[in-house]
Amino acid sequence: MVSFFKNKGQMKKREKQKIDDKDQSKSKKLEYIDSSISANLDHMKKKTGNSPDIIVRTLKISQNPEIKTTILYVQGLIDNPSVTDFLIESIMKNPHLKEKLLPKEALDVISEEVVSLGGVESVTDWEKLFLSLLSGDSIIFVDGINKALVASTRGGERRSIQEPSTHLTVRGSREGFTESNATNIAMLRRIINSQDLWIESMKIGTVTKTDVSIMYINGIAKEGIVEEVKKRLKGINIDSILESGYIEQLIEDQVMTPFPTLNHTERPDMVAGNLLEGRVAIFVNGSPFVLVAPALFVQFFQSVEDYYNRFDIASATRFLRIIVFIISIVGPAVYVAATTFHQEMIPSKLLVIVAAQRETVPLPAVVEALVMEITFEILREASLRMPKVVGSTMSIVGALVIGQAAVQAGAVSPAMVIIVSITAIASFATPSYSIAISARIVRFGFIICAGVLGFYGMILAFIVLIVHLCSLRSFGVPYMSPLAPLNPEGLGDTFFRRPMWAFKERPKLLSSNNNLIREGDNQRPLPPESRGMKTSDKKKGEGNES
Amino acid sequence: MNRKWLVLLLMIGTTFTSGCWDKKELNEIAIVSAMGIDKDKEGKLVGTFQIINPGNVAGSLQGGGGTNPAISVYRATGNNVLGLDSIASTKISRDMYFAHANLIVIGEEIAKEEGINAIFDAFERSPEFRATSRIVIARGVKARDIVETLTAIDKVSAEKVIRTIESSEKQQGRSISVNLQEVIKNLVSTGKEPIISGFTVKGNTDKEDKMENTQTSDIEANPTTAGIGVFKDGKLIDWLDGNKAIGSMWVLDRIAHTNLNIDWNDKKDAITYQVQRQKTNVAAKMKNGKPKMLIKVLVEGDIREANIPVNLNSPHVLIDIEKRLAKDLKKEMEDAIVRAQKNKSDIFGFGEIMHESHPKEWKKIEKDWDDVSFPKLEVDVQVETFIRRTGLRNKPYLSNLKKSDQ
Amino acid sequence: MEKAKISGFQLFVLIFLFEIGSALLVPLAGEAKQGAWLVILIAMIGGFLLFFVYYGLFQYYPDQLLTEYVRHIMGNFLGRIVAFLYILYFMYLAARVLRDFGETLLTFAYPHVPLFFANAVFILVVVYTVRKGIEVLARTGELFFVLENLLFMTFILLIVVSGMIHINNLKPVFEISGVEMMKMSFTETLFFPFGEIIVFLMIFPYLNEPQRLKKIGIGSLAASGIFLAFIMALNVAVLGVDLTIRSQYPFLSLIQSIEIAGFLERLDVYFLVKLMIGGFIKISVFTYVAVTGTANVFNFKEPSRLAYPVGFVILLISIVIASSYSEHIHEGLGAVPIYVHLPFQVIIPVFLLVIAYFKNRKKKQGFVPPKP
Repeated sequence: MVSFFKNKGQMKKREKQKIDDKDQSKSKKLEYIDSSISANLDHMKKKTGNSPDIIVRTLKISQNPEIKTTILYVQGLIDNPSVTDFLIESIMKNPHLKEKLLPKEALDVISEEVVSLGGVESVTDWEKLFLSLLSGDSIIFVDGINKALVASTRGGERRSIQEPSTHLTVRGSREGFTESNATNIAMLRRIINSQDLWIESMKIGTVTKTDVSIMYINGIAKEGIVEEVKKRLKGINIDSILESGYIEQLIEDQVMTPFPTLNHTERPDMVAGNLLEGRVAIFVNGSPFVLVAPALFVQFFQSVEDYYNRFDIASATRFLRIIVFIISIVGPAVYVAATTFHQEMIPSKLLVIVAAQRETVPLPAVVEALVMEITFEILREASLRMPKVVGSTMSIVGALVIGQAAVQAGAVSPAMVIIVSITAIASFATPSYSIAISARIVRFGFIICAGVLGFYGMILAFIVLIVHLCSLRSFGVPYMSPLAPLNPEGLGDTFFRRPMWAFKERPKLLSSNNNLIREGDNQRPLPPESRGMKTSDKKKGEGNES
Repeated sequence: MNRKWLVLLLMIGTTFTSGCWDKKELNEIAIVSAMGIDKDKEGKLVGTFQIINPGNVAGSLQGGGGTNPAISVYRATGNNVLGLDSIASTKISRDMYFAHANLIVIGEEIAKEEGINAIFDAFERSPEFRATSRIVIARGVKARDIVETLTAIDKVSAEKVIRTIESSEKQQGRSISVNLQEVIKNLVSTGKEPIISGFTVKGNTDKEDKMENTQTSDIEANPTTAGIGVFKDGKLIDWLDGNKAIGSMWVLDRIAHTNLNIDWNDKKDAITYQVQRQKTNVAAKMKNGKPKMLIKVLVEGDIREANIPVNLNSPHVLIDIEKRLAKDLKKEMEDAIVRAQKNKSDIFGFGEIMHESHPKEWKKIEKDWDDVSFPKLEVDVQVETFIRRTGLRNKPYLSNLKKSDQ
Repeated sequence: MEKAKISGFQLFVLIFLFEIGSALLVPLAGEAKQGAWLVILIAMIGGFLLFFVYYGLFQYYPDQLLTEYVRHIMGNFLGRIVAFLYILYFMYLAARVLRDFGETLLTFAYPHVPLFFANAVFILVVVYTVRKGIEVLARTGELFFVLENLLFMTFILLIVVSGMIHINNLKPVFEISGVEMMKMSFTETLFFPFGEIIVFLMIFPYLNEPQRLKKIGIGSLAASGIFLAFIMALNVAVLGVDLTIRSQYPFLSLIQSIEIAGFLERLDVYFLVKLMIGGFIKISVFTYVAVTGTANVFNFKEPSRLAYPVGFVILLISIVIASSYSEHIHEGLGAVPIYVHLPFQVIIPVFLLVIAYFKNRKKKQGFVPPKP
């Protein structure tokens, strides 16, 4: 590790990698815990740079001779009551420890009879010890023994479970993920009570050693995809993982694309739904955003709420979203193409109105569109990053400057303002933020193409876009499926959603193929026969309702 | 990797250096809304282009509108249609854009003397011109008079002309709204001759291009429809007015609504019948080796006016009225057909119907259809009329007035 | 050969879009006047016969490209030459379609754009696609198929609503005699567009369910034939015979005459979409085949690297092929069918099939060649 930094800048990437690998294999030589407490504490201080947040509490147990015992923990990472009540207090007050004990016995007694905590184990090497200590566990050294006890006391101040701030819904669970993996995984466990919900954990990041867990439902998830996810995660060799975005960028299929090939969400119910379709979830400690792979294009237009609402309403909403997405991509481009190349396609009256507005505008339509779009992006970015207090001022200034002054001065045509506003609203109406961003980038390409070659340019750009989308894959699954390659069965959950009672199968390309059946036959609700146009058999009690 | 960048660079380079060939900004084009074609004394074409001033039409934004004319007119003289365009463009600061030229006005003189055959090629060939542009003939006035007229409600007079023709066709059947494509189709066809609506400016024709024309409530120079022009071999040969025009429209199956008036007990036009729905079927038959046309008309409508005491409650009376209506209508149509036969111009497309149903016989008579066969053609008209409703009242109040008199 | 598989539906879609690609735009079999649609249908039957010949070849070599088994059939040297000629033929066809496309674009919307530029940007898009491989092309085709159908249905709705269809314009069907119709079908319309399906001999081996090929091929030929006949009949019904024949692009005139409710008119962009999607699929298929063919004949390991040069050659051919649009069309209807299409689409394949039949009979005694 050290040499890696020393040589930084002097070697090429690949060579560095090699040395790095060698370093790792060297450092695999484990350092073991010494039997003397003072030696251990010295080692500790040396390794951690004498950081003051590592608290060392020395106790004495046993009699004749007294045995020195030390408890180590990191301030803030631990759950205070557990350490004080169940660790320190129990060690100090436990009658067993007042008796005469050999150091060897002492450790066993502590772990078996004294510490009233859930997890206690003994470790011998420093690496594990540090990992536990720095994750919030407490370490107990007993003088004269070259082992240490690790008591799980993880806790400390954390954000509590709150409503997620993205993917808002009217109907559905109000829980959102937090920054703690344990909490997040537990939330999923609460939703899916099955022993088939399998979880695997690993530490990624040579410095941060971030806890990363993958979760899938054994038997539903396709083995190939699970293996692929594991393989890619294991291949990561980076110093730090600070957010799930790091992982996302390191394991996606295609790098040169504006489109997301991994989905992320803050909603446990959404993850559960995805797991049940055979997808794999990746939890990254420290991030409330859980990654879901593989991600398909149509998925970004779906909201969990679609499944909670009735199918007709859900389908209509999805259809609307597609229109919204198209508007947010081509809106300004169509305006530019129509007003600078294809005036014939605008109805005469409308053309006269638009022409009247453009009389005084000094810029060509394409430049006008670009300027307005960029202005909008500036406004958006500014309002995202600035303190909330100034936000309203911002929007007033923005609206006044653009909506009023620019139009009145004749620098911008009102039609353009209308188009840009519609596009802006459209780009926020897409349920997934990540696809909305892609749409915004692609939009600029379209405007330029439309400005250069009108609809010819636009359609060319459109073809390239479609080809590009078709060429993408997410963990081996074609990005545009089930549209292309067409899977008629899968179409029921794309731009429209089939009724819940007709969800017979899981998606073929995602789920394990020998476990596709999702619901029993005849799930269509069969209420008692209606009272409408039926011949009455004149039974008693038929008139009860009235 | 390098090659990729090279290609990208090439693409960006070409797009920006080559510029935008077919780009036309809205404030660089002059939107032509109508075009008039006349002939001057030397026989050259005179084109009149009506150009929209967008600011004055849409108005409110720049505070203009109302006070300034919504259109400007440019004139040019040349030998062919494209020549007109290029000459006119020396006078206009912008490129003339024809895709919204919804109206083509042709001077009566040129239609009568030169014919319209030689005019339309440029319009048809150009991708900018629309096949759906309406065509009218300026009757009694020059085409430029119609093009340069300022009008009140529809500020762009081209629109006024088109709307007037359309409503006149729809409400009365006195005009026919034809577009470029239809005219050319009929010019080319051996079995059908084109007819084109006439248009004129009535009133003070010196003021039609002054703003004050639109500033009075009683507009002095008002463009109005004026019959239907009949063509033969591309030349205007006759005008159909009033009942003749309506009769022709009946045969052509282009009537939507119209009023039929019949006399009753010597009172002229006593009862008015409004046509709500009609269907005209024309079929060709060979009889003794000679073609014969069968025209069947079914009409449904309401009684809208009865200025005589007549009992409209009685089915017998209604049947009586129906019969008279049918008789009148039949007469109207037969008159129109006779007129066409006299003109030797098959404006009804009887020839085409022959062609469709009797292709072999048609081949023999196709050559001199207009001059020999059509004028002698036997036409059998059958009309059936139905009165479906009589409005909000049954008997006219006149019948009650009569009673109190007694 | 690429490591790829395409599904039956994808092949169906590709053939369909390929067939209607550029044939939709021109007055196909226009000389037959009111009977044009009938001529198209007759030619479609002829297309079936050709397809059976190609299918027979495919049956003998189900996992090989045309350029591959030509060498098996005719020997290495001669086979290589024929394969190379086929590649040239495909490139020439690609260039022809590209020229068609560019000319149409320039005629109706972009009169000032240089042809070279219009074609160049288009072929760039094609090359981009071809480099992604047949699977991506097939998937793209699927999406475009859906798009086309949606557009087409709205289009039909518009035409019907605007009340422009005069069925009487289609009478009399036999404006030209039946014999003339047959002659026309088998000298013009058969080769373009139906015979061009020969290019799929380079794509059939990718099909993941070869046993269904016969159904798919016939099905999509029939679908495209009926579609084309329908459009041509629609052209005549709306525009009349005279205008249809005089139009360079009757379909455009058809679209331009739509006028509904005062604002649904001037739908030229619809034509542009149709033109570009059709042209794109057709040129892409030709280019793809030319690229894999070249790679195959010259044992190239990375076919995708050939895409740029092949695309460039196609672009150049498309420019030098003719000096004017009239010349281009004249060639296309006159010399090309007899001197180019006939040998490549009919004579050589039939010849190959016969040799393949005898060769395989010799090789495997008792082997019953599959009936086409």
